[in-house]
Amino acid sequence: MKYSVFILLIIFLSACQNEGLDESYQNLNDENSDNENIFLDLELPSNFPEPTYEIENNRPTQAGFELGKKLFYDGKLSSTGVISCGFCHIQDFAFTHHTHVVSHGVNGALGTRNAPSLQNMIFMEDFNWDGSVSHLDAQPIVPITTEFEMNESITNVLTKLQNDEEYVQLFNAAFENDTIDTQNMLRAISQFVMMMVSADSKYDKVVRNEGSHFNEMEEAGKAVFDQKCAGCHSGSLFTDQSYRNNGLPIDPQYDDEGRMRVTGEEADKYKFKVPSLRNIAVTFPYMHDGRYQTLRDVLDHYDSGVVQTQNLDSVFIQENGQLGIPLTEIEKDEIIAYLNTLTDDNFLLDDRFSEF
Amino acid sequence: MKLRIYITALCIAFLIACSSDNATDVVDDSQIEVGDLKINFTNTVGDEPLNLNTQTYVKNGGETYKVNELKYIISNIVLTDTEGNQFVYPQADSYFLINEEVAQSKTITLDSIDANNYTSITFGFGVDQTNYPLNGVDNFVPEAEESEMLWSWSAGYKFLKFEGTYSTDEITDQPFLYHIGSHGQNLDNYREISLNFMQPLALSASNTPELNIGFDVQKIFNSDFQLLLSDKDDIQIDPVNAPKIVDNITNAFEIILN
Ligand code: HEC
Ligand code: HEC
Repeated sequence: MKYSVFILLIIFLSACQNEGLDESYQNLNDENSDNENIFLDLELPSNFPEPTYEIENNRPTQAGFELGKKLFYDGKLSSTGVISCGFCHIQDFAFTHHTHVVSHGVNGALGTRNAPSLQNMIFMEDFNWDGSVSHLDAQPIVPITTEFEMNESITNVLTKLQNDEEYVQLFNAAFENDTIDTQNMLRAISQFVMMMVSADSKYDKVVRNEGSHFNEMEEAGKAVFDQKCAGCHSGSLFTDQSYRNNGLPIDPQYDDEGRMRVTGEEADKYKFKVPSLRNIAVTFPYMHDGRYQTLRDVLDHYDSGVVQTQNLDSVFIQENGQLGIPLTEIEKDEIIAYLNTLTDDNFLLDDRFSEF
Repeated sequence: MKLRIYITALCIAFLIACSSDNATDVVDDSQIEVGDLKINFTNTVGDEPLNLNTQTYVKNGGETYKVNELKYIISNIVLTDTEGNQFVYPQADSYFLINEEVAQSKTITLDSIDANNYTSITFGFGVDQTNYPLNGVDNFVPEAEESEMLWSWSAGYKFLKFEGTYSTDEITDQPFLYHIGSHGQNLDNYREISLNFMQPLALSASNTPELNIGFDVQKIFNSDFQLLLSDKDDIQIDPVNAPKIVDNITNAFEIILN
């Protein structure tokens, strides 16, 4: 009898404590390695600016990242079931649509723009060539619902995911409210994309004094670049994130008005976002419509191809009235050598991001 | 024996300690009395209820028009009581699409509001995208998408979708179209609107008040600013006219009955 009371007491005690314990157990678990939902270590490079993404609102976890990765590579997000984000954003080419001038979507439908590289997205103020999207979380809505991309509706995508037992489990693991909804889907994709930080190129190792050195050619290229290009392709992201007209002849096939689509301002016509040049050696073709195949073509454009169109950036109007940025053939070689130091193989080959 | 009593007492003590914790939680919750609020939106032209498709209305500038479609987004509802205290309705549940064509969409019911005497309401016209990502705003995407209130190229919300036909001395039955939202981070067309009630609204668990809010369509064209359809009948991403339209709309709502 004495015994049973004692046992009863212990049971009550533990029942009583359990509530309190449960919570601290969970908290502990958040930091603990045997829980699926451990926070991932998102290393911010010391030579980068502060991220624009509010990481605290959506801290990447192992489960969230894995879910985001599955979504990124899943054709379910498209109407035909075959076009995934990864179809247009291929890791080996810094997540661009390699060799495609403009992106192809469902049933081979042609877009009007070249898929930009996906890297260092958490440092960007807005997205796409014209800055049409202001937050990384919202970006997937564009391809999913665009006719010539994935041509699907968010509602349908959610239904498909809700009917898929594997996704039900993945969402349960990734989000406390165990719900498959738009917010969780978008946040999961962001958790995956957020981790794509490219900051381990030769350039970075030189800048961070990690034992690498530019060779003579690269050094000379850096000097020309800093003088002639870094006004726009500035800082460690190689973009000042402004919108400029860099003097491309207007392609009548698309007549893309650029930033004006977003703002409606004439002053923004033909302006496009200054793109980051990281991993530029592998992200060809170049420019918003993928018109140039090689970096040499790009440099030839700056040297001798710039044309006067509405809102041409004043940088390209020389004192003698000629247009462009004069570059000698040697300077072009040097710039290309320098730009090649921006290739980050550790990023391009990082298993965490690869489809298989 | 003494020990047994002692242990039993201890046991009971723990039991009480244990359960009283839970008990206070429950009491805490039920101490705050909550109730519901019903808001009816009535789209009007002047004092008349709006009739889609059939009726021709006269507007400023001698133009006439018919309306085929009227939709707008209401968000971020806040109630203010007689003391000036605010009750902020949970943001995530605070996005509503009012569609003239769909009767149910024009009545919204808010639940679990603190019982109180309220004197005014504040709400947003559109979606406050400058503060993105607002909690839950993404979960409004499916509804907005199904009602074509989303620009797929920018993932931006259309705050207003207003379409119809118009006639002037020179032309008859030309289509017109106003699709208004914010322009990326460049121009914020979200607006906040505050309306005072005619008399304090007593909200309690047993009393669900009804609030009737009118939206006068003709003010879209004619309030602080006068817009002529013959000047421009397709207004979408328009940094000059879009803000005029939303400014006009801040004057278009009024309490018609409460
Ligand atoms: C059909 C090809 C295609 C698909 C599929 C696609 N994208 Fe893209 N993506 C593009 C193009 C093209 C752009 C640039 C669009 C523009 O500038 O208007 C882009 C832009 C982006 C950007 C902005 C990059 C920047 O530098 O501003 C992000 C982020 C992105 N996509 C992520 C995704 C995600 C996530 C998915 C899957 C939900 C996806 N994309 C699916 C082609 C695609
Ligand atoms: C006035 C600002 C400005 C200057 C100066 C400038 N660029 Fe650009 N650059 C841009 C813009 C804007 C684009 C995108 C244009 C488009 O696609 O319409 C671009 C595109 C590029 C691209 C293609 C990137 C891609 O992902 O497709 C490369 C490479 C490039 N620039 C290199 C350079 C080099 C090298 C220099 C110096 C010789 C230079 N830029 C000077 C604004 C500038």
